[in-house]
Amino acid sequence: MNLEKTFEELKNKREGAHMPHVYLGDPHKEFSLKLIQTLVENGADILEFGIPFSDPTADGPTFQAVCERALENGVTPSKCIQGIKNLRDRGVENPIVVTTYYNIPYVMGVGTFMNRIREVGAQAVIIPNVPVEEADVLLAEGKRSSIHVIFQIAPTTTEDRLKKITDFASGFLYVINVEGVTGARESLDDSTLKLVQRVRRHTDMPLMAGFGISNKKQASNVVAAGADGAIAGSCYAKVYEKNLENPEETLPQIAQLVGQIKQGCIEGYRRR
Amino acid sequence: MKKKGKFGDFGGQYVNEVLMPILIELEAAFEKHYPTAEFQAKLNGLLRDYAGRPTSLYYARNFSELVGSKVYLKREDLVCGGSHKLNNTLGQALLTKEMGKTRLITETAAGQHGLATAMAGNVCQLETEVFMGVKDIKRQASNVKRIKLLGAKVTPVDIGMGVLKDAVSDTLRKWTTCSMTTHYLMGSTVGPHPFPEIVATFQSVIGKEIKKQILEKEGRLPDTIVACGSGGSNALGAFRPFIKEKDVRLIFVEGGGESLESDNNAAAFQIGKPGILHGALMQVLQDENGQIKPSRTRAAGLNYPGRGPEISFLGNSGRVKTGYAFDSQVFEAVKIMSKAEGLIPALETAHAIAYMVNHKEEFDKNELVVLNFSGRGDKDLETIMRYFHES
Ligand SMILES: Cc1ncc(COP(=O)(O)O)c(C=O)c1O
Repeated sequence: MNLEKTFEELKNKREGAHMPHVYLGDPHKEFSLKLIQTLVENGADILEFGIPFSDPTADGPTFQAVCERALENGVTPSKCIQGIKNLRDRGVENPIVVTTYYNIPYVMGVGTFMNRIREVGAQAVIIPNVPVEEADVLLAEGKRSSIHVIFQIAPTTTEDRLKKITDFASGFLYVINVEGVTGARESLDDSTLKLVQRVRRHTDMPLMAGFGISNKKQASNVVAAGADGAIAGSCYAKVYEKNLENPEETLPQIAQLVGQIKQGCIEGYRRR
Repeated sequence: MKKKGKFGDFGGQYVNEVLMPILIELEAAFEKHYPTAEFQAKLNGLLRDYAGRPTSLYYARNFSELVGSKVYLKREDLVCGGSHKLNNTLGQALLTKEMGKTRLITETAAGQHGLATAMAGNVCQLETEVFMGVKDIKRQASNVKRIKLLGAKVTPVDIGMGVLKDAVSDTLRKWTTCSMTTHYLMGSTVGPHPFPEIVATFQSVIGKEIKKQILEKEGRLPDTIVACGSGGSNALGAFRPFIKEKDVRLIFVEGGGESLESDNNAAAFQIGKPGILHGALMQVLQDENGQIKPSRTRAAGLNYPGRGPEISFLGNSGRVKTGYAFDSQVFEAVKIMSKAEGLIPALETAHAIAYMVNHKEEFDKNELVVLNFSGRGDKDLETIMRYFHES
């Protein structure tokens, strides 16, 4: 299924979208595939599929450790791309958004990278260290391969940048609701609300709120504030990292958590 | 047209959206304040009265004899704090004041930049926090003590290998949470635009002085300038006013570590390739998939896998000749310089010295060489003593 359709269906059902973020290969590929299957069977609408990078500067300590372990265990960009194919072969139909840092596609060749992920069934990319100013190649190759390039919006983003970003964006916008960046003690929903309202003046594109979301209440609040969905990542890694010997044993707990967060996305939508 | 912040393809602003507006603000502030007479007066006043500039250009007679050419040392070891790093930190601290920010964060490996940031922070009454890899905290203990005595907070970084690359990553992460009040005082000509430009501009006081001093002493420009480096700040500082002087040979010496085999050095020009790390496209150590490789050298200040955008460009375009020195040669060079001139160089600086000692054939008898003596070796005394004791 494609992104547009997914958002449209959710709107008709009056639900916010949930997009969990997983890096492949921690502690090994087979577990990641099972984890993703668990997530999509229990509430995930879209999947953010991470290709680990050695220096994930936009990630917090949990995902840093995840990347480090995955790389130690021998995961490579090619194995990750193969992983997307495995998921499609196992019947996972949800849209897949590939996340990685720019050096990975840069070294592979941005065009090759885009083609390869499209061939195995991905719909979009998030490259957090490529702002619009540096996105010419990414956008051109994305267009050629029909891969959406997802951009981020932050509380620091100025009005004229907002305009520039919404001009180039497709798929959806990733709204970063970092708490406390202005020094003020704003709650997650206040800062999201403000940002979402600002972005709405420029675009009707779906807005996915990410960063700092780890439970049902937060998901519900950002969706109630006007986001079309919530992104959560490290909260899932935090569950399975406690049992890296037998991570499969944590899958029931993860199933429950993703169900709750999705429920938050639904309730938040209906509170609007 | 040349795009701002690009040196050929190198450079750019490969950062997360949270930081983009801050970088744009920083660039505007730099362009607005740096050229003003008030800013220049404040900066030059501090460079003169606090840092001790101009530093001397010393004719090293004994060392010259040893290597068989005429060598002047540009004495950045005489800058207060013991290295060139203060040239940049004073400039950026003044800029931070102009921007109305109240805090500085930075990272350090050798501790020289951390120390210089804490000094400039105190001069400008800015609170300072220094991120430092746990491995570097151990091997540069004396600088850590100095930084703490100055009242700066030292935050240990234990991710990755606990070295500079990891400290930079953590400082960038920290900056995304506090950039409205806090300036990241970049210590070398690395990172996203406008940092490489700002740092090179503040450091080029070195090269401007060299030009004036060598003309006074020799009545002509040098034939060659040699500098060590990693990000490239002391080298670019010395090189910049000479880049257009095509007859002046520029030599950049990076950390050869134990050997040129992978994982055993910091020699990104020798075995790295272009890649994106910490906000910029640069020459960087990496594997075939684009995962960044850790660097290794006994000189903490050269222990970074990337070369800054401008030096990456100059090295790849051939304007700057790139060389390296192995750790063993570097320790020997410390001894040689100490004995010849009574000057104990920093391990980083000793790379440039080792290069000359080991490549005598590349320097003519009458060749006029300026070696940028980027720092003094007090911080490395223990490492040096241990090395000679063990071997
Ligand atoms: C004395 C000295 N020289 C050189 C360097 C290398 O830095 P750069 O390449 O920015 O000059 C350092 C870094 O800490 C240093 O302390």
